Amino acid sequence: MIKNIFIEIGLISRFTGRFFREAFKPRFEFSEFLRQCYYIGNKSLPLVAITAFIMGLVITIQSRPTLVEFGAQAWLPKMVSVSLVREIAPVITALICAGKIGSGIGAELGSMKVTEQIDAMDVSGTNPYKFLVVTRVMSTTLMIPILAILADAVSLYGGYLGANIRGVVSWDLYWNQVFDTLVFGDVVPSIIKTFFFGFAIGIIGCYKGFNSNKGTEGVGQSANSAVVVSSLLVFIIDLLAVQITDILNLN
Amino acid sequence: MAQETSKNIRVGLFVLIGTILLIFSFYLIGSKQNLFGSNFRLSAQFHNVNGLMPGNNVRFTGIDVGTVESVEIINDTTVNVVMIIEDKVQEFIKKNATAIVGTDGLMGNKLININSSKEDAPSVEDGDVLLAHKPVGTDEMMKTLNITNENVREITVEIKNIVKKLNSPNTLWSILMDTVVAENVKQAIVNIKVTGERTAIITGDLSRIVQHVKEGKGTIGALLTDTAFSTQLHQSIVNIKLISDSLALVSGDLHYITSHVKSGKGAIGTVLMDTNFVNNLNKSMINIESGTKNFDQDMEALKHNILLRNYFKKQEKKKAKEQK
Repeated sequence: MIKNIFIEIGLISRFTGRFFREAFKPRFEFSEFLRQCYYIGNKSLPLVAITAFIMGLVITIQSRPTLVEFGAQAWLPKMVSVSLVREIAPVITALICAGKIGSGIGAELGSMKVTEQIDAMDVSGTNPYKFLVVTRVMSTTLMIPILAILADAVSLYGGYLGANIRGVVSWDLYWNQVFDTLVFGDVVPSIIKTFFFGFAIGIIGCYKGFNSNKGTEGVGQSANSAVVVSSLLVFIIDLLAVQITDILNLN
Repeated sequence: MAQETSKNIRVGLFVLIGTILLIFSFYLIGSKQNLFGSNFRLSAQFHNVNGLMPGNNVRFTGIDVGTVESVEIINDTTVNVVMIIEDKVQEFIKKNATAIVGTDGLMGNKLININSSKEDAPSVEDGDVLLAHKPVGTDEMMKTLNITNENVREITVEIKNIVKKLNSPNTLWSILMDTVVAENVKQAIVNIKVTGERTAIITGDLSRIVQHVKEGKGTIGALLTDTAFSTQLHQSIVNIKLISDSLALVSGDLHYITSHVKSGKGAIGTVLMDTNFVNNLNKSMINIESGTKNFDQDMEALKHNILLRNYFKKQEKKKAKEQK
């Protein structure tokens, strides 16, 4: 069991190493990359936006009673903005994408693998790794940060509505307080870590799909484990990110 | 292909919106930290910065105008704080402005307040050092409060004593509360009023009298104002003087006479001073006494004489009638 885990980690690491070898060598599959960006970025936006909006609203409503207890409801925008931008929006975005994109990539590549389409590509002279893996991993790495930024904006708007359900905070005051509180130490690390989230989601999805077997049953398995492992990896990266920002004195 | 292009356009739009949002938020955050606007530096040296950190706000007259760039220890009692201030407030901050470490709200972040001084001074320049004020520490506040408390305690004890004394019987308070006294005081005031009225009448009378005296009316007036009377008075006094002179002469004569009498000169002198004469007089008196006794017996005998007896009986009857 433990041996299997070590083998899995080793294989994932080698798969990742292969990505870096292949990614910077021509020829680049640019149109396939844009197509993947469309599916991964644009198609995920509604789901991410709705989730982020609800999270912003809920966090604000939930924080309010505690702050009222301290007589500090004026601090609501400040507190909500820090927690949303630093942690909630990036992690929620990454988890949603792990569920939607990771499973999609795992199932798609898995079914291609079991129907031997990947082998056929190899035979026909197209590099299947370059065409399938590099484009997908590149697009998840670049699209998830943008999704996270949009999620920040939408969740902060949700926070604005949440703050106005019970109290009254004007539009100008809310955004003034938000940007008064936020510093680069809040925003930059949270954006940087989403690149790693995206990379992890893409690479795990591709790895699971690329190495799927046992027919149609294996397709389901690879999709499932892609979601589980990438979600786990998102939290591990988040833990690393908070420790690194702490060392860099940005907390 | 057309479908592919529209998808690419949407991807481009998606990326653009995300990037613009990121840049916009970076700009907003940066503008709060004065990273993009033009600015200048000021410094101030404190003994104690109470946990001030780089990035804390700097306020001038209550407005955020910059941030703390660095907090460095220079020596064992001095901490140098460098502040980045927006250029646009440079003309308003004068060289004699003071910096003080404060707190945002009751428990908020530390910040530096720059306060203007009342005196006029030129504006600050880049790199100037502001005068630092010691922040009001809780310990010092407590010390002052302690002294205040002591004073309040002493004052309340004194007030308590005063109130006790006022409340105890036979004091001002009892006088104030005594209705009889109040009634008496009232009566006294009424009396004073009456007296006053009477005094007014008397003074009116006096005034009239004085007026009369001045005008020469009445006895005193006559005395004081009649010149003829005063001449007569003067004459009288002269007369009195003459009389007293005469009296002096008379008394001198009297003295002379008495001295003669004493020395037995003259008739009276002889009578009063001659002892032989006194003895003779004494003998004579004795003789007279015995003579009178004899005469008395003679007279009694006469009464019983027949010739005279009727007369005496008539006399007795007349007396008895008168007595009835």
